[in-house]
Amino acid sequence: MNIPMKFLVIIILIAVSPLFGVIGAEIVGYHEPLDVAVDTASQISGVEVKEVSYWSGILPDYTVPGVNNVTGYIVSGFIGVLILLVPFILRRKM
Amino acid sequence: MHIPDGVLSPLVSGVAYVVSIVFLVYCSRRFFAGAGFQGAFTDTRERVSLVSVTAAAVFAAQMLNWPIPGGTSAHLVGGALSALILGPEGGFLALFLVLLVQSLVFGDGGITALGANVLNMAIVDVFAGYGIYKMVTSILGGKLRGKQVGSFFAGWIGIALAALVCGIEIGSSPQFGYPLAVTIPVMFSWHLALGLIEGVITMFVVRYALLHAPETIYIGGGSS
Repeated sequence: MNIPMKFLVIIILIAVSPLFGVIGAEIVGYHEPLDVAVDTASQISGVEVKEVSYWSGILPDYTVPGVNNVTGYIVSGFIGVLILLVPFILRRKM
Repeated sequence: MHIPDGVLSPLVSGVAYVVSIVFLVYCSRRFFAGAGFQGAFTDTRERVSLVSVTAAAVFAAQMLNWPIPGGTSAHLVGGALSALILGPEGGFLALFLVLLVQSLVFGDGGITALGANVLNMAIVDVFAGYGIYKMVTSILGGKLRGKQVGSFFAGWIGIALAALVCGIEIGSSPQFGYPLAVTIPVMFSWHLALGLIEGVITMFVVRYALLHAPETIYIGGGSS
């Protein structure tokens, strides 16, 4: 099977993504810059920014129930890519 | 730069949603009408296909969060890059789809902040980035060197301007503890530094595409 370069790049990006998004996060302990800013703002100003979430997603924070975070991150990545490739797949079938 | 729920005031959220919907309608009409395209880009199905693949690639690239010592992270946004590959309207649609999937499927970016996230990353980064590219290439010329330098500045300044608008949004929201005088310089200067990486990646991807398959990208052979 000959996988086009663009799809090979996407597969590689998803495969290595847990090194950054999960393992790196556990080692360094980081969050989105805005989350850090919200926490800092709350501490300094005393104004409580309520933790609100009206919709946490079908697979919250790129996790999949029943599997570890690394596997869940990879599976989430492929699910996201597959959803975004639906127009491409449909176009090929037209 | 994904804004979560609870940070923006209803007014800021609402205005951002209206602006985003206006752009969605405008970009969809222009994109599907095929105005300003040539080569492979004149085929609507081909354009849709390119938007789909670019959106998937940007989504995958955004999953690579680079840890930054001090407890935070950064990732490629890809707005300017998408604009250079697909044209500004196609770039908007690709980023819009990415942000929609991230918010609805993975809860990455609040549902009430989706309009603001679209405004920052799919409108400001895409259109400002493309405008900066056009400005630089009008000065340096449209050969490979000019396009490379233009791509670098598009990626770099595009993301910094998107962060500036993000700073305006959160600073205008009373829920957020800091005033505009703090949020704007902090967001802008922080992303002006991080944006250098975005600029370099944008430049290398564009260079690769221009050298190997120029007809498949908007600034290579897709624009009339």
